[in-house]
Amino acid sequence: MQASEKTPFNKYHHDLHARMGDFAGWELPMWYTSILEEHKATRNAIGMFDVSDMGRIWVTGTGAGAFLGKVLTRGVEQLEVGSSHLDLMCLENGGILDDLFVYHLDADEYLIVWNAGHADEKLDWLSQWLEPNMNVTIKDKSRDTAMIAIQGLAVRQLKILKEVFQLAQFGVTKTHIERLDAYIARTGYTGEDGFEIVSDVPTGLRLWQLFIEHGIKPCGLGARDILRLEAGMLLCGQDMDASTNPFEAVLGWLVDLAHGDFIGKSALLEIKRKGIKRKLIGFTMKDRGIARTGYRITNSGEDVGKVTSGGYSPTLDANIGFGYVPIDMSSIGTHLEIVIRNRIVPAEVVSKRFYKRRR
Amino acid sequence: MDITEYRFTKEHEWICVEPDDTGRVGLSYYAQVHLGDLVFLDLPEVGSKVEQFGKLGELESVKAVSDVFSPASGVVLETNHNAVDEPGLVNKDPYGGGWLAMIKLSNPSELDNLMNKSEYNEFMKQCEESGQ
Repeated sequence: MQASEKTPFNKYHHDLHARMGDFAGWELPMWYTSILEEHKATRNAIGMFDVSDMGRIWVTGTGAGAFLGKVLTRGVEQLEVGSSHLDLMCLENGGILDDLFVYHLDADEYLIVWNAGHADEKLDWLSQWLEPNMNVTIKDKSRDTAMIAIQGLAVRQLKILKEVFQLAQFGVTKTHIERLDAYIARTGYTGEDGFEIVSDVPTGLRLWQLFIEHGIKPCGLGARDILRLEAGMLLCGQDMDASTNPFEAVLGWLVDLAHGDFIGKSALLEIKRKGIKRKLIGFTMKDRGIARTGYRITNSGEDVGKVTSGGYSPTLDANIGFGYVPIDMSSIGTHLEIVIRNRIVPAEVVSKRFYKRRR
Repeated sequence: MDITEYRFTKEHEWICVEPDDTGRVGLSYYAQVHLGDLVFLDLPEVGSKVEQFGKLGELESVKAVSDVFSPASGVVLETNHNAVDEPGLVNKDPYGGGWLAMIKLSNPSELDNLMNKSEYNEFMKQCEESGQ
């Protein structure tokens, strides 16, 4: 096993006696006190997450927008300065390389935040599409910066963030938090209102302590995983990968087939024309048992797909999950079964947005 | 909770045996810490036979599923309904109210295969060091 990389907050996690685990090659807290408590803190108040494992790539230069239009399926033509959106990088065959957030920081300055997995390959992939005279610089600042997510409805009462209370959803701005410089965005991966903050490492460390002093509960990956599952958010590498296309993954809304000549476009046009054969669904278990990644999905005993994510939802007090099934079994209300260690347990297809916040 | 009379397995279960050869079985504190919040317990039917170190049931934590093994052979006399209804009891009180099952031992001499409290403390230290 390869040695885990450590985020700038690693010592803090150990000092808090977090249960540490490996995630995409990074040593990260699975939980500090309890996944259920941390989940509850985020749903009912605020939770703080170390998300520094995610890659932070600056794409700058007069050609930056055009370059991103080429490598992303949604493109950045419509993305105004001070805003961000979810986007996809696809392979030439339309398979999903990663989902990512693009933040338009300034004229000719974009920040990409992508998943921790396969960081080097993705950087190579990006660089491969650079051409001379494009006037684009790609700089990986993942290790020179820190990233914290502050998530939960009570962020709106957090006085130290009052400078950014007015920030729109998906907005991004350079700000001061108690005289500390940082980029802050109204984005997240929990289904709650909240902010994600990118700064240099010393600032990140001070912000972490500041939030702790304000009574904010640090939360681990365990809570994060349930929060995003409840909110219907996919995890790349688990719910989709290079063998999945955006339409199957119900991410077709991230593909703008009308924008320029982007990588994967002709394959995606063809996939769309032919139609998809399988689709990602949400399901709830109708009897006891928790579906886990890799469990078989059956229909009247016949194998029809696999669970990609699953777990216990404290918000719904139900066992929920995602999986791929043939398109004719994907409509809401369809009865399927999940094989939980040789036990066949009934499940029902439901909207994958298991949880929607009140506003 | 006085657990000096408890005996432990390498899979981090405990058993506390009464003079009538009935034993109460549960998970160690260490095990519940490492499993995290338990949300579902699948325990055997009353009357079923279990083997020493054989499977007793399954525990689902928020993160994962794991088997729980019986520290001794015998017949299941009772399972803990309170813990089935509220699996978090196993996290809160693993040596007391969060017990899992009562077993009538069929071969009490098997208890010699288990660790006593101080042996188990030593074993836990090794587990921590090897990161298990």
